[in-house]
Parts: sequence; C-alpha cells; structure tokens
Amino acid sequence: MIRSRIYYFLWGMIGLFLLLLPKVLSMIHIHLATEILIFALFALSFNLVFGYSGLLPFGHGALFGVGAYVAVLIFKHFPGMPLLLTVLITALSGGLVAAFIGLFCVRLKAAYFALITLAFQMFLFAIALKWRSLTYGEDGMSITRPDLNLFGFGNISMHSVQNVYYLTLVIVTIGILICYLFLKTPLGNSVISVKEKDIRASFLGYNVFLTKLAVYSFSGIFASVAGGLYSFFQEFVNTAYIDLNMSMSAVFMTVIGGSGHFMGPVLGAAFYIIFQDWISSMTQHWWIWLGLVFVLIVYFEGGGLINLFNRERIDRFLSRLRK
Amino acid sequence: MHLPIEIYLVQMMHGLVYGMLIFLVASGLTLVLGMLDILNITHAAFYMLGAYFAYSITLQLGNFWLGLLIAPIFVGIIGVLIERIFLRKTYKGGHLSQLLITFGLLFIFGELVRIIWGTVPLDVSVPKLLEGSIPFGGMTYPIYRLFILCFSVLIFIGITLVLSFSRIGIIIRAAVSDAEMVNALGINIPLVFLGVFGGGAFLAGVAGVISVPFISVHSNTGLEVLLDCFVVIVIGGFGSLLGAFIASLMIGLLQSFGILWIPKLAIVFPFLLMVLVLILRPTGLFGVKE
Repeated sequence: MIRSRIYYFLWGMIGLFLLLLPKVLSMIHIHLATEILIFALFALSFNLVFGYSGLLPFGHGALFGVGAYVAVLIFKHFPGMPLLLTVLITALSGGLVAAFIGLFCVRLKAAYFALITLAFQMFLFAIALKWRSLTYGEDGMSITRPDLNLFGFGNISMHSVQNVYYLTLVIVTIGILICYLFLKTPLGNSVISVKEKDIRASFLGYNVFLTKLAVYSFSGIFASVAGGLYSFFQEFVNTAYIDLNMSMSAVFMTVIGGSGHFMGPVLGAAFYIIFQDWISSMTQHWWIWLGLVFVLIVYFEGGGLINLFNRERIDRFLSRLRK
Repeated sequence: MHLPIEIYLVQMMHGLVYGMLIFLVASGLTLVLGMLDILNITHAAFYMLGAYFAYSITLQLGNFWLGLLIAPIFVGIIGVLIERIFLRKTYKGGHLSQLLITFGLLFIFGELVRIIWGTVPLDVSVPKLLEGSIPFGGMTYPIYRLFILCFSVLIFIGITLVLSFSRIGIIIRAAVSDAEMVNALGINIPLVFLGVFGGGAFLAGVAGVISVPFISVHSNTGLEVLLDCFVVIVIGGFGSLLGAFIASLMIGLLQSFGILWIPKLAIVFPFLLMVLVLILRPTGLFGVKE
C-alpha cells in the first residue's frame, strides 16, 4: 500500500503547488497557467469522446465556441445574472448542442464522424461570422468580468487575475473530477466497451447509439464550460473561438499528451501552451515544430508524453530509490 | 427578385467551373478513400502545392504551360513519397491514426508553404493564349474559365475511360470493391495503391495549377478546398467517381446561386445539403451499402 500512499502524496503536492502558484508567478505566467487549466478541461472533454469511445470529433471547437459565445452573451445582455448560474447555463447549452449534433453523427463510422462533426463546426462558425447583429462577426464582443457573488458571503472581485485563476482552478478541478467519476459509472464502463467493439457491446445488450450520444453530449458540457471560462478570462469573444484552429488544438493537445490515459490531455494542454509560448518568442513558424512532434507521436504510436510517467516506470523508479 | 436571364446563365457557368475544379481535387480523394479506406486529409495540401509550384515555375520560366506540365508531376512524386513513408505503415493501425497523421502532415505543409512563399496571396496572370472574353448569351465570359471547364470535363472523361476499359482501370475498380481478394488473385495491390495515391495527388496538383490564374493562392487555400471536397465525397458516396462528379457540380451550382439569392447564407448551403443527404441516404448518393 506504500505505492497508493505515494500517489496520494503526489496528488496532494500537485494540489498544493497549484494553490500556491499565483503567489510565486508573475502576472504573465498566471495568465499562462489559467489558460493551461482551461485548455486542460477542453482537451479532457475531447478525450472522453476520442480516447474512451473511439470516435474522433474533428469539430470539438464548435462546442468550445458555443460556450464562449453563450457566456459572453449572458454577460452582455443579462449583467445581473449570478456567475455560477451562468456557468450552469453555459454547460447546459453545450450539452444540448452536442446532443443535437450527436443525433446525426454518432451512428457513423470513424471518418464520417470526423467529417460531419467538422461540418457542423463550419456551420456554427458561419453563423457566428454572418449573424453580425448578435455576434459582431470577426470583430467580436468585449465584456468586463462580473464579480462572483457568494450569496451572503460577500463578493469576490474578478478584477484581479489571481482570483480568476482560483475560480478557474475550482471549476476545472470539479469538471475533471466529474469526468473521472463519470467513467466509473456503469454508463462510463459501457462507453469503453463500445470502443472495444461496438457490435459485441450491442450483442451484450448495450444500446450503442445512446451510449455514444451520452458520452458526446457529456463531453459537450465540459467543452462548453471551458469555452465559457476562456471568454470570461479573456473578456472577449470572436470567431477565432469557434474556428477550425480551436478544434485542432484539442486534437494536438490530446494526442501529444497521450489519449490512452485519463490525465494525458491535461499534460498535453500544459505542454502545448508552454511550448507555444516558448517557441513563438523565437520563431513565428511554431506550427511546424508542433506538427512534427504530433506526426512523430502518431507515427511511432508513442502514446504521448504521459507515457513518460506511466506506472511501471514510476514503480521501477521508486523501487530503485528504496534500494 | 427579377434578374435578367443572362445573369443566371453566367452564374451557372461560374458554378460549373468551380464544381469541376472541386471535382479534380475530390476525384483522387474519393478513389483513395474507396480503395485504401484512408481519408487522406493531406490531399488538400497537394492542391495547394500544385498552385504554389505553378506560381514559381511560371515566375522562373515565364511560361504557364510548362507549369501545368511540371508542377503536377512534382506533386505526384511528393504524394508517392508520403504514401511510402507515412501511410504504408498505418494501414493496419486503423482509421484514427491515419486521420491523425494525414491531418498533421497537412499542417506541416501549410507551415512549410508559409516559410517558403510567405503569407501574401500570390497571383499568376492568365496565359496569353486564353486572355480576354468571348460573347456568351448576350454577355461576355472569360475564355480562361471556359478553358477550365473544358479541360476538367476532358479529364473526367479520360479517367472514366481508363477506369472502365483499360486493364489497370479494371484492377483499380476491383480493388475498390475488395482489395484483399484482388491481392489474392496475384496482383500487386500495394503497387496499385501507390499508383492511385500518386495519381490522385497528380490530379490535385493539376487542379491547383489551373486554379491559380483565377484564384490567388495563399496558405489557407488548401483548407478551404478541403471542406468542399469533404462535402462532395460525403454527398457523392465514398469511393464513387460518378458520385463525386455529380456532387461537385451540385456544390458548385449551389454556391454560385446561393451567393446570388441569399449571400449571407451561401457558405452554409453545402453543409445543409450534406446533412440532408446524410439523413436521407447515409451512404451518399452513389455509395454502396455495406
């Protein structure tokens, strides 16, 4: 049981580290850390579909964008709305949109599924671009972050970036925990069985269609929360929040981090954003390096960065330490 | 809205021209998809490379026709190399890794193009021979667009003839329906795959070259065409050349008339059509049920 105790200890350290992070980092780096947290949730929601049910949603940025737009529209048109209610509405809208898209897509095979989700994204992108009276197209909309009202415990100002970081940390942690627990439910297990072989799963009595639809909608909820958090954090939204690159970033983060492990996308998001920040200061052509890392990982079936931390390797390391 | 009939005619021609361009790109994509069961996302990069090569060759040699001759060959070679180096290994690895790897390659090519040619859109002037317009139904129509139309129709007829009557065409069609069986009959399927892949890349390169004089190329050219191609192969049915042909024309016409009638929604029409087809006929218009 030493091992599990060590793991608890490690998780505790990571939690403590994340809590203390804003105390030591500069303003710019707090920004970066917040971004990592948000994209960690986004990539994780992507991987619920990709890694666990074996479908590749190329248009996941659509759900991120829906969240971003819904949140900003609420801030803009209903300024009095409590922040937590906004989060819930954002989550719900993402789930509903995903359920609607899923209705058409989840029956389809891999390549079709990837294409049709992409098509739906282009559709939503076109709406965001063309419905200028609502979305202001490419120019986008600016907002100021409303305060967090704790119902009787006073207000927390969201003017400071530190507080935004903590709010993001709380929401993202809850989101990741819910996703983790979801996979432990019977429904979550059936998702994995569907990935293994959906014909077999259907003979075993699972409803493959509903299972896939459920996991896609569930994933939509968290992609949308991530989007809402991002536009809240940036105090801005425009069509870049719902375009192709947004979908692509989820694919890149997840594959680079490792789709075979629950925390892989989180690691991938951290790598992606730090790497992008670091390398874009040196060259403007950072996509090519990221693309190379990506292609090499897929090509050699490397399983992503998370494999550097896999259990056997850590166990080996620990046993060597004990000697 | 009452517009003179000539405008409809011209708009229809625009639609047909664009549709044929899309068809040139989509034909290779759909054949590869039907045969190898690979959705080759890098295909869009072949189109873009064709356009850029044509630009450089025309600039260096001052002759567009040489570009039309040489650029697609280069693109075909690149296609063959990619099949050999990257895809050969993933045939057994399943769809997801193929989708991911071709997708990553598309981004690498996009960035390479940005490094080599920069981000400014580039133009090539229409070759001397095809400059100007001819009278057409009471209005004038640019000769170059008519050239694209005729050229693409010739290529379509050529591919159809090769596929229907030549020995290699019969092998390819057989491989589309059951590659394993054809392999068992003693035909070198990997080589046929390679040929079709290179041929598809070549066709995409041709489309890229002939599109340069009337669409200026930039580093996102590939992505734009990619989406239309996807729509076309989904509507036409995976692996169906005739389906791709008809769907391309539908998309071309839909876009040009969409711009005429409801300009705001023109870009969503193709997707709506695709969703409609998927609901009514999930395998596409000419796709085969499994």
